[in-house]
Amino acid sequence: MKLLTCPMNGSRPLSEFVFGGEYRESPNPDTCTDKEWAAYVHNRSGAPGNKKEWWYHAPSGTWFIAERNTLSDKVARTYLLTDANAQQAKPAQEYGQ
Amino acid sequence: MPLRLLKYALSKNHPAPRFFKEHLVPKKSYDVVIIGGGGHGLAAAYYLAKDHGITNVAVLEKGYIGGGNTGRNTTIVRSNYLTPEGVNFYDASVKIYEGLSEELDLNLFYSTRGHFTLAHTESAMRTMRWRAEVNKHVGVESRVVGPDEIAKACPQLDLSCSGHAPILGALYHAPGSVARHDGVAWGYARGADGYGAEIFQSTEVLGIDVKNGKVCGVRTNKGYIETKQVLSAVAGFTPRITEMVELDTPIVIHPLQACVTEPMKPWLDTILVSGSLHVYVSQSSRGELVMGSSLDPYEVHSTRSTLDFVEGLTSHMLDMFPFLSNVKVVRQWAGMADMTPDFAPIMGKTPIEGFYLDAGWGTWGFKATPISGKTMAYTIANDRAPDLIHSFRLSRFDEYELTGEKGAASVGH
Amino acid sequence: MTLRLTTQIGEWINRNKHIHFTFEGETYSAFEGDTISSALWAAGQKVLGRSFKYHRPRGVLSFANHDVNVLMTDGMDTNIRADVVAVKDGMVLTAVNTKGGVKHDKNRVIDAISPLLPVGFYYKAFHTPRRLFPFWENIIRKSAGLGVVNVNYPRILKRKLHAHCDVLVIGAGAAGLSAAYHAAKAGLQVTLVDENRQAGGSLTFDLGGDAKPQQVLDDLLRKVTTQPNITLMTGSYAAGYYPDHLIPIVSDTGITKIRAKTVIVASGAFEQPPVFRYNDLPGVMLGSAAQRLIYRYGVKPFNKGVVVTANDYGYRVAIDLLDADTEVIAVVDMRKGSNASPDLITLAKRGVKIYAGYCVYEALATSDKSAVRGVVVCPYDDQKNVALTHDSVTLACDGIAMSAGWAAAAALLYQAGTAMKFSYEVQQFVPNTLPMGMFAAGKVNGIFELSQRLHDGVRAASEALRYLGLEAAEVAAAKHMGSTPSHPYPMVPHYKAKNFVDFDEDIQIKDFVNAAKEGFDNIELMKRFTTVGMGPSQGKHSNMNAIRILAKIRDLPVEKVGSTTSRPFFHPTPIGHLAGRSMHAHRLTPLHDWHQQHGAVFTDIGAWKRAAYYPAPGQHKDEAIQAEAMAVRTSAGMIDSSSFGKIELHGPDAAEFLERFFIGVYANQKVGSCRHVMLLDEAGVIIDDGVASRLADDLFYLSIGTTNAAAVYREMQRYQQMWQLNLGLVNVTGAFGAVTVAGPAAREILSTLTDLDLTYEAFPISRVRTSVVAGVPARVIRVAFVSELSYELHVPMLQVPHVWQALLAAGEKHGIRPFGSDTQRLLRLEMGHMMPGVDTDGLTNPLEIGVDTHKYMQKAYFIGQRSLAILAKRPLRKQLVAFMLAEHFQGELPLECNLVVDGRDILGRVTSIAYSQTINRIIGFAYVTPAQTAIGSVFNIRTDSGTLVEATVVTTPFFKSTSQQATGA
Repeated sequence: MKLLTCPMNGSRPLSEFVFGGEYRESPNPDTCTDKEWAAYVHNRSGAPGNKKEWWYHAPSGTWFIAERNTLSDKVARTYLLTDANAQQAKPAQEYGQ
Repeated sequence: MPLRLLKYALSKNHPAPRFFKEHLVPKKSYDVVIIGGGGHGLAAAYYLAKDHGITNVAVLEKGYIGGGNTGRNTTIVRSNYLTPEGVNFYDASVKIYEGLSEELDLNLFYSTRGHFTLAHTESAMRTMRWRAEVNKHVGVESRVVGPDEIAKACPQLDLSCSGHAPILGALYHAPGSVARHDGVAWGYARGADGYGAEIFQSTEVLGIDVKNGKVCGVRTNKGYIETKQVLSAVAGFTPRITEMVELDTPIVIHPLQACVTEPMKPWLDTILVSGSLHVYVSQSSRGELVMGSSLDPYEVHSTRSTLDFVEGLTSHMLDMFPFLSNVKVVRQWAGMADMTPDFAPIMGKTPIEGFYLDAGWGTWGFKATPISGKTMAYTIANDRAPDLIHSFRLSRFDEYELTGEKGAASVGH
Repeated sequence: MTLRLTTQIGEWINRNKHIHFTFEGETYSAFEGDTISSALWAAGQKVLGRSFKYHRPRGVLSFANHDVNVLMTDGMDTNIRADVVAVKDGMVLTAVNTKGGVKHDKNRVIDAISPLLPVGFYYKAFHTPRRLFPFWENIIRKSAGLGVVNVNYPRILKRKLHAHCDVLVIGAGAAGLSAAYHAAKAGLQVTLVDENRQAGGSLTFDLGGDAKPQQVLDDLLRKVTTQPNITLMTGSYAAGYYPDHLIPIVSDTGITKIRAKTVIVASGAFEQPPVFRYNDLPGVMLGSAAQRLIYRYGVKPFNKGVVVTANDYGYRVAIDLLDADTEVIAVVDMRKGSNASPDLITLAKRGVKIYAGYCVYEALATSDKSAVRGVVVCPYDDQKNVALTHDSVTLACDGIAMSAGWAAAAALLYQAGTAMKFSYEVQQFVPNTLPMGMFAAGKVNGIFELSQRLHDGVRAASEALRYLGLEAAEVAAAKHMGSTPSHPYPMVPHYKAKNFVDFDEDIQIKDFVNAAKEGFDNIELMKRFTTVGMGPSQGKHSNMNAIRILAKIRDLPVEKVGSTTSRPFFHPTPIGHLAGRSMHAHRLTPLHDWHQQHGAVFTDIGAWKRAAYYPAPGQHKDEAIQAEAMAVRTSAGMIDSSSFGKIELHGPDAAEFLERFFIGVYANQKVGSCRHVMLLDEAGVIIDDGVASRLADDLFYLSIGTTNAAAVYREMQRYQQMWQLNLGLVNVTGAFGAVTVAGPAAREILSTLTDLDLTYEAFPISRVRTSVVAGVPARVIRVAFVSELSYELHVPMLQVPHVWQALLAAGEKHGIRPFGSDTQRLLRLEMGHMMPGVDTDGLTNPLEIGVDTHKYMQKAYFIGQRSLAILAKRPLRKQLVAFMLAEHFQGELPLECNLVVDGRDILGRVTSIAYSQTINRIIGFAYVTPAQTAIGSVFNIRTDSGTLVEATVVTTPFFKSTSQQATGA
């Protein structure tokens, strides 16, 4: 089983985590067209690559962001959504291939 | 012993020719380029020629034919779906499958074994009835059966599932079958090749050229191909192809894993599926138990195996068949399933003229191979999708007209 | 005739312990420590099994856990691998997959008709005419498979352990022992595993008349066993590689899942058979198998034999045979020219004739094909790959030992993603680029010479140390020394074939040639068409030769052909091991025992076990449910609702959070009141519903359905991370239990347990009160889900049994009785409440169940709002309606999920249906088309048997309580 690092609890086995899908910014619901909204609701950027994803550490109830390469399944870094510093910092390690 | 085998015994040299010719360099242009040399792509090539007389076709396969999900699935063919459009579509596929060995003159070991979807809860029983009623309505042989009938078909099954999940009944689907998955790809390859379609293995698509909203060519590692019509039939690689033409789709890739045991004498005559225990199992003509489970829980573009999968699956297998404790698992593997939000495929035309999509096959692609080939060939030949696949159009997501196939999966307490 | 030798140094058998067993009706004796095969071989029994396809007699091949033609059953278990499984006293064994026993297997006729069964024959025939296929299929199916599985075999679940180590060393041969010792000496925690019963690898059998290997082994074993930070696990194989260095180690007793910081793979190499006609006869075996027989089990491989070799290793095998009193009449060396092996002279001195540049053209079988009677050798043109048969020599012998080369046991390296390259120096695939933290040493790394293997272990240990950030001297890479260990093409064509490449599947050279002719000329296609490597040994002795054959056919270098993908498992692994102990976690309410004592039938709802109903002895489910429902309608009933999801929202933004999260309006909700909540997803689909009770301006108490509680709470946490509102979320599902008392007598019963003013004016519907009930602090919620008069009492989980008992006592004179979740479903139906998941499916939106969304659309935002706005513009496809069947309906009762039909059209389906004794009607919910929703509309439901039943659309609730119940007047 793979390991994943929860920003609050450190490296834990993957069985403790729930995948929350890709982290996506929604269009402004007040100004976007129906088509844009439908695309936001249904479409995904399915091509492999580096993604920002939601992950949930179930035992501690922690949602966080993982930057993961969906081809290599390597995680570059994980941080809380609210950790603005982490978001701007350079990845601690590069994605593997 | 059939006479045709004598042919082999009496001839000095192996008399069988190549299944399909080896082409190394593509021509400058083709009427149709099919990306993906799996069952779907090859079937489309075959029906383009057979039904529509279109033979100037190239099939581009980046690996070897049938090497993707065609060769990785657990070979179950059935049509006991939930929505009338789903049932009709898969039933049409079953009907072609039933005569396909003869049509392709290749024994696909299409073996009708009967298919039981086990229900362990009242809510699962409700869903079984729903499916049975819809199936019956459109003329497909499915019915709800009780534990007695299951026990008769599979006396080895522990109906209490070791006390953990007693079986209340099942949806019995008599036409449920298994087949030699590789053979399906090879048979269609031979058929398409016979009509003049050209199959290129180890040929990777690097880009697709679109001008003014129209497809005009395909860039490959073997050179540039001019074409006005491109079919993408690449299952787990769909997002990589659609990205080339900047087409957004709902498809997300999740690995789907499976495993086989060592061979044993046949004892399991039916195909069994348990939604609650996340198990499907049949015994192959080689004597192996072929087993699968649910999708991996997160997106990965990889066919790696996990220990969790095989641990969970075997645990549930033992609940159903406690005597398998010392039967050994020989091999596990995975495919990349292209999942859609409503558990139905995406087929037909796209906003890009000349770019056709045969995708979103998730965990149900093998059983649709013949009919997807046939309907996609029709779509390409007429630039119009037949009614049979209207519900599966890409635009349904824009229109909030998702198919109801997801309904069954989400009904709980 | 016994082939048992005198005591060998280091042998694995205990000659003081005699064992008796039977094989196919004959009794044999053995020593403790013998495998089934070694015991039978010692007794002169050579036909140990039959091959899978042609039913050819087979004996010993590898003694390395891939003699898969020698599978046995002991009546209990099947597919027992006789080459490695220890024989036990009293065993009664037979070979699997024979008809009438291994000696006279009636299926041996298949061998005679094998020309009729060319590669892929089953694709070519039997399918026309279609109607006959089931007949042929039945025959083919029966001939497939190996052992017969025993359906009475007990359910045996093996233990699972988890372990961690700094270095996991796989393989305790020279390189592995050396690596483990050096890593441990530097202070690392080392786990060393080996599939054999004893450590040592080839040091235990590859002697070549030299004492050095045993000295090295003794020395290493002493060092390793005295090093406290080495855990040595023998009889344990590494079953596969999984991400982040997770490696399950399988032994007889269970699986140890090891998470290693680094992995050193020192798994050695599999000896590969040269391919010649009749290379499968009993008596033809790999050189390493002959050595294992001699040194591990003290058994002579044969009496008079020939060694065919293509490397220096075969010369050592010949010396070991001579040392074991075996007559070696010749060494047939497929290599041309002078060989540098120092053993050459030794052999010549001992009277062994060396045929250099010769090959074995064919082995000669005894008349019953059960043994070797001789061998035909002739000069070999390795350029043209032909045996020059005009110069052939026939030698009489009863055995052949084969040493033509090796294939790296690289399965785990491949699985971990190692890029391998083909080394022409050693004629073997070796690691090129290894994954992070993974190292290879010894034969798997292309290093064969003993001192170099020891050195390679040191080098790997040093690299592991440095990878872990510790100081260690850089050690130079080990070098291959001596001649090439593997022949580039050890395959001799023969016009009559029967030269086997894959023993599992009886695949001959011509099968590959023919497969290629048919276009299956890529390694993966060839594998699938010929089935090479797909048998139980997974290509351990066949994949490398298959690659060489294909390379030759295609005239490509070996590395261009590549290899098939390696998958777990390294050896087939039992289901009981993998399954481990069965884990079925359930959540029970504190009243579970009480429910059980009172005859409850339980149902699984999410992770919870809930009481569904309480049948009296002999009472039918429907009767029990009706009786429980009648109690609620006429007097009082009570239900354990402890499994409900319960969430508290604390903080000034609590109402704002609910406004955004749910469909309803909460900003203006009064303290002490309750409102319905409904959660949608972004697509506007109903996920769940529940009740929000406002306990204070800044405190909401949310109760939601059992099934989705965890998922809903999880989503609330996610949105809170995004929204960063000023509130805290607390999941109190496990902290609060709930008991609901419902029915016309509920008020009177509850009033005896609390000072709370229960009058209608003081406590109307949809209100919440914080109070004390039966001496316990309680949140009392009045919702009309099952009855207009009902109170949900939310109390600390521990106090639930106390409150339950108090209610039972207080309600006794009213005839209060418990009701279960199935009864609750009937009651809520009577009240006209839909249930998500029952009356909705995975695509249902609020418009389809008749929710008036207009007032909500005015809100600034809620999840799913934007999609609802789009959906509102589209025509509805279906709509949920309440219906009744005709009064005194008598026919076949429609069931849930029966369809609403109109001729060929499916208009909808029944989602809920039940007989209500209270109103003496059959009532339900169904989806119909929007055209049929008017009150009084009639639609048809089709029953299971196909009859149509008319239903009429009605208003809800179906059941209206008398005004006293509602008002308490």
